[in-house]
Amino acid sequence: MLWLISAQLVNGIAIGMIYALMSFGLSIIKGLLNIPNFAHGALYALGAYLCYSVVSLGMSFAVGLAVAFLGAALAGLALDRFAIQPVSGSGYLPQLITLFGAALVIEQALLIGWGTVGLSYSPPPILRGAINLGFTIVPRYIAFASVFSALVISAVWLLIERTKFGAYVRAGIERPETTQALGINVDLLLSAGMMLGAGLAGLAGGLALPLVGATSTMGGDMLGIAFVVLVIGGLGSLYGSIAAGVLVGVVQSLMTIAAPAASTAIIYAVMIGVLLLRPQGLFGER
Amino acid sequence: MRSSDHNGTVLAKSIEEPVEISSVGTTARPGPLTANLIRSIGIIGAVSILPLVMPINIATEILIFGIFAMAANLLIGTAGLYSFGQAAFFGTGGYAAGYLLAHGWTSLPLALVVACGSGGLIAAAVGILSIRRLGIYFMMLTFAFNQLVYYIVYSWRSVTGGEDGLAGIRRPVLELPFVGSFSFDDNRSFYALASVLFLATMIVLVRMVNSPFGLVLAASRQNSRRTVSLGYPVPMLQLVAFVIAGAISGVAGALFAMLYRIMPIDSVHWTGSAYVVFMVVIGGQRNMLGPVIGAAVFIWLQGLFSLVWTRWPLLLGVFVIVIMASLPNGLVGFVSKLSSWTVKGRGQRQC
Repeated sequence: MLWLISAQLVNGIAIGMIYALMSFGLSIIKGLLNIPNFAHGALYALGAYLCYSVVSLGMSFAVGLAVAFLGAALAGLALDRFAIQPVSGSGYLPQLITLFGAALVIEQALLIGWGTVGLSYSPPPILRGAINLGFTIVPRYIAFASVFSALVISAVWLLIERTKFGAYVRAGIERPETTQALGINVDLLLSAGMMLGAGLAGLAGGLALPLVGATSTMGGDMLGIAFVVLVIGGLGSLYGSIAAGVLVGVVQSLMTIAAPAASTAIIYAVMIGVLLLRPQGLFGER
Repeated sequence: MRSSDHNGTVLAKSIEEPVEISSVGTTARPGPLTANLIRSIGIIGAVSILPLVMPINIATEILIFGIFAMAANLLIGTAGLYSFGQAAFFGTGGYAAGYLLAHGWTSLPLALVVACGSGGLIAAAVGILSIRRLGIYFMMLTFAFNQLVYYIVYSWRSVTGGEDGLAGIRRPVLELPFVGSFSFDDNRSFYALASVLFLATMIVLVRMVNSPFGLVLAASRQNSRRTVSLGYPVPMLQLVAFVIAGAISGVAGALFAMLYRIMPIDSVHWTGSAYVVFMVVIGGQRNMLGPVIGAAVFIWLQGLFSLVWTRWPLLLGVFVIVIMASLPNGLVGFVSKLSSWTVKGRGQRQC
C-alpha cells in the first residue's frame, strides 16, 4: 500500500508540474492582458500534436519540445494579432468570444491535420525504464518530466524577476497605464506575454505527449483543469498557480487509488473547499 | 493601451457608461402604448411565420435557444454578470426532465416544474459560491462549475447514460380537467408549446428587466459600489437573478430534450455556455430581442455550416472572430447605429 501511495505521489508530482507549467502560462496571460485565455487548451493540444509530428519525422524528442514551444508561441502571437487586438477597445466579453472562436479554429485544424484517432508516442530510449529508489520505483520519463518542468518554471521565474524584460512585465501587470506613460510599448509587451504564455502551454502539451498521447479532447479537458488550478492558486498571484498545479496533480493521482472514477471530480471538490475557506485562493491577495 | 477593463478602473468605467437606465429594456422608453402593441404583434407574428419559412424542428430549436439566450442576457446584459457556465443549468434541466419522461412520468407540468426547479437549485449552489467574485474570477468559477456538472453527468452512467446521452425520452402529455389531454408528439403541436413558453419567458423577462429589481441590477452593472452604498443588497439580488436565469435555462434544456427525444452529453459541455454568450453578444445585450436574433443567427449558421463540412466548428470559429472584430456591439447595436444615423435629432444612444 505504501508502495502504491508513493508511486502515485511521484506520478502526481509529474502531472502536477505539467499542470503548473500550463497554468503558469495562463497566469502570465491573465496578469498582462487581463483575460482568461479560452484558447489555452487548444494551444496545449497544438503543442502535443506538433511534438508528435516532429518525432514521427525521425527527429529527437528535444527538437519536438522546442517546436511545441515555438509553434504554440507563434500561434499565440497570431491570436494576439488577429483575435485579441482587433476587439481590444470593446470590453472583455468580445475578447473572450474571439478567443473561444480561435480555440474552435485551432482544435478543428488539428483534427483536419492529424485525424480524429488519438495518437500515442513512447518516450525516447534514454527516458524509458525506471529508477529504483528503494522504497518505490520511478519511471524515468516521470522523473524527467518533473525535473524539466521545474527547470523551465525556474527559467521563466528568472526571466520575470531578474531581467529588464521581466521588470517591464511585472510593471505591465501592476500598473499598465503608468508603464505606458513611462514610454514602454505596452502593446508589444502584451504580445510578448501572450507568446510566452502560449509557448508554455505548447511545451506542457509536448511534455504530456508520452504520458497521455494526443487526442482531440485533450485541450478542452486541460482548460478546465488549468482554470481550477488558477482559482485555487489565487488570481492575483503569478506564482500561486505553480504550487496549486502540483497540489491538484498530487490530489488527483492519490485519488485514483481510492476511487478512480472520481479523480477528476475531486479537484473541483478541492476548489470548492478552498473557495469556502479562503475565497481569494491559496496565494491570492484580497 | 489595450486592456480597458483593468482592475481599479471603476471610475473610468462609470464615466464611459453614464447612468442611462432608459436604454435597458425593450419597453423601457416611455413610448405610446401603440408602439408596444405593434412590437408585441410583430414578435407574435414572427413566431407564427417562423415554421413556414424553415424546417419546423429548426424553428423550434431557435425558440428554445432564444429562451436560453434571453435567460443568459438577464445576467450578461442587465446584471453585468459574465457567466460562462449556463450550459450546466440547461443540461441539468434537460437531464432531470428527460429522466422523468424516459421513465414513465409524462406529465407536462411535472416535467417543467422539475426542469425549472433543478436548474434553479444548481444555479443557487453555484451562485452562492461564486456570486461575490467579480469579473474574470466569476467567469472562471462559473466555467469550472460547468465542467464539474459535465463530469458528474459523464460519470453517472446509470442515470444519465454517460457518453451516449440520455435516450428514450418521450414527449410530455398535458392533462387538462374537462378539456382532455394534449400530446405533443406532433412537431407542430410541439412548436406551439415552445412558442407559448418562449413568449411567456419574454414577457416575464422584459417585465423583470424594467421592474425595480431589474433597474437595481442594471445600476449595479453600471456602478456596483454606488448601488451598494445606496443601500441595495446587490449580491443578494444578483444571486436571485442568477437563480432565475438558471431556472429558465433549465426549462429551455427540458424543451431541447423533448424536441429530439434525447439529451446529448454535448448539451452540458462548456462550449454550450460559450455559444450562448456568443448568441447574446452577436445579438446585442441591451434588449431581450437581441439575444433571440443572436440565437436565430447562430442556429441558422450551425445548420448551414454543418451541411457544408463536417469540420463546421472551424467555419463557426472564423465567423465568430470576423463578426466580433467588425461588429463588437452585435447585430442589433449595428442596426440601431444605422438607424441613429438616418433618424437624426432623437438624441438617444442605443449601443
